[in-house]
Amino acid sequence: MKKSPQQEKLEALLKSSKFSMCGFMGDDKRNLWEVIDTDATAIEKLGKKQEEIAARMQHLTDLAASGLGDWVQVGKNLQVSADDNRGMIPCPWPHHKRCLKRITTARHSATGRTIRWSDLNIHLIKEHGFFEGRGSPFRIEPQELVKIIFCE
Amino acid sequence: MGTTAVAIFIISGVGAFLATLLVFAERVITNYGDIEIDINSGEKKFTVKGGGSLLETLNAQKIFIPSACGGRGTCAYCKVRVTEGAGSLLPTEEPYMNAQERAEGIRLSCQVKVRNALKIQIPESLFAIKEYVCVCEKITDYTYDMKQFNLKLVDPPTIKYTPGQYIQFLAPAYEGSPEEVYRAYSISSDPADKSTIELIVRRVPDGICTTYLFDHLKEGDRVKINGPYGQFLLRDTSVPIIFIAGGSGVAPIKCMLHEMKNAGNTRKAIFFFGVRTTKDLFLIDEMKNFEKELAHFTFVPAVSQPEEGSNWQGVTGRVTNVAEDYLKKQSDAKEYEGYLCGSPGMIDSSIRVLTACGIPEEKIYYDKFS
Repeated sequence: MKKSPQQEKLEALLKSSKFSMCGFMGDDKRNLWEVIDTDATAIEKLGKKQEEIAARMQHLTDLAASGLGDWVQVGKNLQVSADDNRGMIPCPWPHHKRCLKRITTARHSATGRTIRWSDLNIHLIKEHGFFEGRGSPFRIEPQELVKIIFCE
Repeated sequence: MGTTAVAIFIISGVGAFLATLLVFAERVITNYGDIEIDINSGEKKFTVKGGGSLLETLNAQKIFIPSACGGRGTCAYCKVRVTEGAGSLLPTEEPYMNAQERAEGIRLSCQVKVRNALKIQIPESLFAIKEYVCVCEKITDYTYDMKQFNLKLVDPPTIKYTPGQYIQFLAPAYEGSPEEVYRAYSISSDPADKSTIELIVRRVPDGICTTYLFDHLKEGDRVKINGPYGQFLLRDTSVPIIFIAGGSGVAPIKCMLHEMKNAGNTRKAIFFFGVRTTKDLFLIDEMKNFEKELAHFTFVPAVSQPEEGSNWQGVTGRVTNVAEDYLKKQSDAKEYEGYLCGSPGMIDSSIRVLTACGIPEEKIYYDKFS
């Protein structure tokens, strides 16, 4: 399928390291739409929807933010904390969305497994179904994410 | 075989012809000649070769418009008001403009091409912004994720700034990050030393600029900064001050304390510095020195979740709660000015605490990390 100029610009931006080290696509050889489609299939198999996952991530981020940097207990098995960093990061899609450079860490108390996401990750999943490409520092594996954030 | 060679020859020839045509078009057809740019109704005028973006054209004239995306039209930081000569709003700008901005002629300077004489309006403060070449003189490790960088200015050799302001640091391309980027950091130095800029930086996991600063920058390396920017300034009054900061938010407060010391300022001031664990504490000795050097200054480090066995003897609790406890005991609490620097969550929480203690919101000044 031939890509439109807008799609080409978007993919170039996602590969650029201007906003995210190694770019949002990392070293993934697949094109953007393959990445999105593969992850969409994965979350469907898990019985979840991208909006549901993003809503849960946002809820946990809000709880974490209330701790002002401290760990916050969520239910029996989950702890979350949020760290703010200076600045904002824009969404690479062509709309005026900028996110705080906040990183939420979720820790499963029993297994010790942790997963982290940025505010931009939440937006990218909710609005664009994009979990980032393999090799990107902020790539989130849907299976791992779902396992931890819904573990309560 | 012969047919293949001829085909390759023809394709190569067509390609070479098109490339030549493009170069010709670039040089002749898109040659806009000399173009005048008028800034702030004649306050500054210069003539430039047309064809470039307004952002890069202004940068070449040493007028630095903040930009985080390097002119890709995605950060929307580089807005300027163009009153004449820019043509209509481009599709690449539309998502970033609200109705009022459209009505006022606000444009993304990275998207506006310099093709006709332009009249633009920019804030006066941007004229004072310069680019500085510096040498990284010293790197100090504070904690596992916090370092201080002392940058000696080379060209120009001195800088004038007001305590509380920040600069933009240019991280050059390096392995794993092939493009240069700018990031903002508050100045923490003693403003009496106009030849050095000191930055206190916390490592952002997989952050482009902090990875450069922490893993690649070495003492003796040359770097570039531009600035100063920002309006987070110490007000010239005599009322007591409450400073609240977390992590690297200490930087502008430290700069303000230097300024108070230099000026012999005798204002009553208290600084609540919040961290999560004792491993996150730093600058304690420097702050104790300020306590000796400033007549009425008190430093209160607060640890919210001290590690088991850390034997922490100081104040335990969230910095906002600790500040609230203090203010509740002050009969003159509503006289205070608040100066806050840290995460948006900490700032919002601090504002709630300070206003609940009677400090009017207009007397609370802050630098949110956003």
